[in-house]
Amino acid sequence: MRRLSAVHTLNLLALNLLVVAGAQKIASPVPLGIAVAQTSNTALLGQEQVIGAKFAEQFINGRGGINGTPIKLVFQDTGGDEAGAINAFQTLISKDQVVGIVGPTLSQQAFSADPIADRAKVPVLGPSNTAKGIPQIGEFIARVSAPVAVVAPNAVRQALKIDPKIKKVAVLYAQNDAFSTSETGTFQQTVKDQGLTLATVQKFQTTDNDFTTQVTAVLGENVDLVIISGLANDGGNLTKQLRQLGYKGLIIGGNGMNTSNMFPVCQKFCDGVIIAQAYSPAQPSAANQVFVKAYTAQYKKPPPQFAAQAYTGVQVFVDALRVIDRKKKITEWTLPELRIELNRQILLGKYKTPLGDISFDKDGEVIQKDFYVAQIKMKDAKTGSFVYLK
Amino acid sequence: MEFLQQYGFLMATMLQQGLLGLSLYAPLMAGQLSLASPGFYALGGYIAAVILTNPAFAGWRDALGYGIYPLTWLLGAVVCGLLGVVVGVPALRLRGIYLALATIAFVEILRVLALNLSITGGAVGLFGIPQAFGFVDRWQYLWQFLPLLILTLLFFHQLSRSRTGRAFRAIREDELAADAMGVPPTRYKVLAFVIGAVLAGIVGSMSAPFLNTWNAKQGTFDASIAYLAFVLIGGSRSMWGPLLGGALLTALPEVLRGLADWRLVINGLVLVVASLYLPQGIVGSLGRKPKPPIRPSAPPRDEGPVGPPYTPETL
Repeated sequence: MRRLSAVHTLNLLALNLLVVAGAQKIASPVPLGIAVAQTSNTALLGQEQVIGAKFAEQFINGRGGINGTPIKLVFQDTGGDEAGAINAFQTLISKDQVVGIVGPTLSQQAFSADPIADRAKVPVLGPSNTAKGIPQIGEFIARVSAPVAVVAPNAVRQALKIDPKIKKVAVLYAQNDAFSTSETGTFQQTVKDQGLTLATVQKFQTTDNDFTTQVTAVLGENVDLVIISGLANDGGNLTKQLRQLGYKGLIIGGNGMNTSNMFPVCQKFCDGVIIAQAYSPAQPSAANQVFVKAYTAQYKKPPPQFAAQAYTGVQVFVDALRVIDRKKKITEWTLPELRIELNRQILLGKYKTPLGDISFDKDGEVIQKDFYVAQIKMKDAKTGSFVYLK
Repeated sequence: MEFLQQYGFLMATMLQQGLLGLSLYAPLMAGQLSLASPGFYALGGYIAAVILTNPAFAGWRDALGYGIYPLTWLLGAVVCGLLGVVVGVPALRLRGIYLALATIAFVEILRVLALNLSITGGAVGLFGIPQAFGFVDRWQYLWQFLPLLILTLLFFHQLSRSRTGRAFRAIREDELAADAMGVPPTRYKVLAFVIGAVLAGIVGSMSAPFLNTWNAKQGTFDASIAYLAFVLIGGSRSMWGPLLGGALLTALPEVLRGLADWRLVINGLVLVVASLYLPQGIVGSLGRKPKPPIRPSAPPRDEGPVGPPYTPETL
């Protein structure tokens, strides 16, 4: 009984809220929410996303914003946990009154916070959520980050191109990291599909520093290729210890190692590692080259993947808002109407972004044509670069 | 209403964390420093998440309707209680810091198991958990946590005045003395441990729908330390301490959201200042200070000894 009356009052109040919000028009500049990890250990990724989004705001407003109406990004820190993501989303939706949200950083946080935005009918673009099932959370949830199943196989094909004699493969992954465990499944499937022998599968934790057990097992199998799914620190250390203990063959690193944060960890031992990438600064499209040039001019280094994906998230929102604005001026819309229309428009449009040409299927899953494989070339102990292979 | 929309989740989280603080307070009543609460919390959540999402339980869900939610609480409580006995009996042979270490190991074992089993969804965890009683907004979960909190507080209140509560206190003050007085320490220590386990299990099973998803990050060493901080900052000698500590330390970073990065600095400062200047915790320093015992006045000299003379035999 109590439950019923509670739902009842809620409905009445929600109606009231709609009426109140209904009178309100969209403010200029148009608020767009960014909910990524600015603190906790997830901030390693989140900080690149913050930079990418801030750059997008400045770059897009410098080019006229939404047909003359500027945008304003509202940042709310999610931290690394689920409760933090819900709090950030809740604040963006009710207090900051944003038209849409780019975020959160982790897939697990998305599973927690996205249903909240979906029920509030606020469009969300995941900038780095790669787990299976994210766009299926609800009709208001989409992502610009390609699922791992699509990105990983390219690197294996590339390794075979470099060394066609590869027969035996060792696969290692960080078992406490959601992204790495999904990715390793794809890698292992690809190895089998390519007719290679999966000699050993070794697990580690992202918090590990000593990999003697895993390296010994790999060396014992006498493999020609090692595939690592991990993050910058653990993946880097593992690479270093493999080389120090005498492994000579090729190493493939997963998408979690697609960051220059790995260079200080494995230093000159990083050299030659093949990396699967969802984004490459070498992507030749005009949209990407303009982005890379402006970004490099400002930050003195080429944009990393997480920054490019966050930038793309903001760009997709703005591109969709531009189309809506041409039909009816953005500042004439009411917030609930615009959120629904924006979600519809996002899924309809095609976008020329730094990730290449992208669009969305009806669930909100990104359709991305180009994926990249790069090889690390170290200049000295601390600095190196990703050399684009194709 | 807008206030509830925005802060409802936070208010429910405050109660939830307060309850978890209380689950650590339960063994502490008998003087046992156990950090096992996050393990039982994670286990309770997994039980609820599996029953609510796994296709194998579809029949139960259809048959019971909303009744499935109380069932997950019950199962969470029973399983955690049983596991509490199994873990408690050997672990509580250890004391002080060794017990704390053993319980950390227990939390770690459960976490690694959760990461490697397929029923728990591995590292990604379980998601798409249906909402308890068809709740739409986070603040509605107050209907779940508030009654549980009131029941828990009533329970602790009655407990502390009962024979069992006195036995807990006796063990906390001096285990050897309590044993000598005929209070079996092992039985009462395990009982206190199990009470904490059951409470954490119920809170976990209520939290799985509340957070929409459940994964191995819910029960970690970090959480153990967080709950311990709730008890230390709030005060460990009264049930209001862990509750206040949990609610306060959960609310602080969110209330200070406007300060961006500085909010964590202030959060850290509060922890340091509170532990330096309020060693009894917030609630402990609020309560009436017990009067210092009055030194008995020395007996007048000239009266001489009244009782038998003090000799080694009379002592």
